Amino acid sequence: MTDSFALPTRFGSQQLGGCYAPETLMQPLLDLEAAFRTAWTAPAFLAELKAELRHFVGRPTPLTPAPRLAAKVGLRALFLKREDLTHTGAHKINNALAQALLARRMGKTEIIAETGAGQHGVATAAACARLGLSCTVYMGVTDMARQAPNVARMRLFGAKVEPVAAGQGTLKEAVNEALRAWAGRCDRAHYILGSALGPHPFPTMVRTFQTVIGEEARAQVLEQSGGLPDTVIACAGGGSNGLGLLVPFLGDDLRRVAVEAGGHGRALGEHAARLEGGRVGVLHGCKTLLLQDEHGHTAETASISAGLDYPALGPELAALALDGKVVVRRASDDEALAGARLLCETEGILPALESSHALALLTALAADGAATVLLGLSGRGDKDLSTYQSRLGI
Amino acid sequence: MNPLLPFIMAGDPSLEALPRLLAEAKALGLEAIELGLPHSDPIADGPVLQAAAHRAIARGATPVRILEVLAGITDSPDLILFTYLNPLLQIGAERLKTLLAPTPVKALLVVDLPFGEEPAFERDLRAAGYPMVPLLAPTTTLERARQVLAERPDPGPSAPFAQRFAYLVARLGVTGTGQSTDLAPVQKRMSELGILATRPLAVGFGLSDAASLAAVRAMGATPVIGSALVRELAGGRSLSACLAPLL
Ligand SMILES: Cc1ncc(COP(=O)(O)O)c(C=O)c1O
Repeated sequence: MTDSFALPTRFGSQQLGGCYAPETLMQPLLDLEAAFRTAWTAPAFLAELKAELRHFVGRPTPLTPAPRLAAKVGLRALFLKREDLTHTGAHKINNALAQALLARRMGKTEIIAETGAGQHGVATAAACARLGLSCTVYMGVTDMARQAPNVARMRLFGAKVEPVAAGQGTLKEAVNEALRAWAGRCDRAHYILGSALGPHPFPTMVRTFQTVIGEEARAQVLEQSGGLPDTVIACAGGGSNGLGLLVPFLGDDLRRVAVEAGGHGRALGEHAARLEGGRVGVLHGCKTLLLQDEHGHTAETASISAGLDYPALGPELAALALDGKVVVRRASDDEALAGARLLCETEGILPALESSHALALLTALAADGAATVLLGLSGRGDKDLSTYQSRLGI
Repeated sequence: MNPLLPFIMAGDPSLEALPRLLAEAKALGLEAIELGLPHSDPIADGPVLQAAAHRAIARGATPVRILEVLAGITDSPDLILFTYLNPLLQIGAERLKTLLAPTPVKALLVVDLPFGEEPAFERDLRAAGYPMVPLLAPTTTLERARQVLAERPDPGPSAPFAQRFAYLVARLGVTGTGQSTDLAPVQKRMSELGILATRPLAVGFGLSDAASLAAVRAMGATPVIGSALVRELAGGRSLSACLAPLL
């Protein structure tokens, strides 16, 4: 039993992050950090994770040159890091699988997870099926409706999907409910948080499990083009695919960009653009940029993409943004839809609505002088077909 | 020993009713009461307190308005403000101290603020007379429990109960009634810590019936009644009608 954290719990000059958890969860979080630290240097754990990432997840994922899209938006070269080609169709599986292995190592028999777009829920359900762990996923009722195929997939993998009807019925409420459930079952259950969010050690642990994206991509782009791009870009919900891609490029002289959901307007409640619209506050166990009203109550959010529809930016990404190491931009619902359509038409790849927010920024990047871009394609768009059909009129 | 520590949600059933509720509590002889500050995302609360918080927010019970309603009230038990951190952080320590000064608030119970996360904020408020209540959960190890109690020390017998007591969470999970709470681990924890020899203790989470309250009192601690009371008050019963039989 450990009684204090060993890893840094704060990020950046504003000391974001931390561990603002109810007392019931403090010892489970201390134990989780200890287990994570040991596992991350244990050859047996690392070997098993590596093997599972290769044979189950399908890593390394390809880096696909996208010359027709590049030409269309005015770039010299564009490379897509294909997390959409992982098993279950998004980067979420990198973290879900690693945490499930860690949970098993800790002797936990039950897994709890939240999900927004359903990709983290599906990834967790798949990892649990593979490792023989029981799995309960909390999901807002609004998200269950707009990401219905993922609900069915989770159920096929044997997971129990618990609808969360409170509030807007989106990711924030799902996290609330998952944290409550964990407080009730933390003696036997592990909570697999799906983004670089929440109380320490989750932000650090999730980012660590996701940096495989950027490590692979950096080597691949060097191999394919003989140099580094001038810009690396990813979408940002909580920030797990963003950090996973961008962190391995932090030491390089290039522009790192994260794209938030601009939703359908600029007033509070119409978007999930935390950098511009947020203030530092505490939600779900961490201090970070938060969309909130003047009373410190969490604001409503809006986005066409369930995975970006969340009021807080992960603390490490928020810190990198505030300290000038990552540029944070926003793309509206309509811009994301247009970005998705363009990728479909030029390259024959159907992106998730989340990833489409990064695609939406390509023309603006080219106009700003970017020539070579590496873009994190965090997930595939099968789950979003009904939205694409209704919004694009196809 | 203080026989009962009730919890009520500010703004539910209404903010206008709050002064009367507090006067009624005082008339019942209650020494202290926990007053919930409604929050949009109460991650440590079960369905009853979640619903109460949302009703209160919908009726305009914002943190500042609540503190303004409390200003000048003297006909009240000592208040322990039960809250989440973010609303307090947004108000800021300086303004918060000014807002608290004319109220009967004597201590803060901030559910998502472990010791050490906001040391300057906590020190500042304690120095101004608003100490944080130490919380111990079933998962808290003995070693950590001693640390929590040391970090949030007892100011001593001359201070009121509200500023002295530690809060022992009786079971895993969130606030609310439901499954019956097994008090044996609570008893064990109390004797391991030998805590009652040094400071008063409140035990809460899941208590609702007279029998479980009596069992907590028999151990020498003060039972907390929250969700069960909030549900009754929302249903229109008076505080006296709810609490008199339990005292
Ligand atoms: C495909 C995809 N991309 C991105 C995200 C956003 O999450 P994060 O910012 O943690 O990568 C999600 C979340 O559900 C997702 O499903």
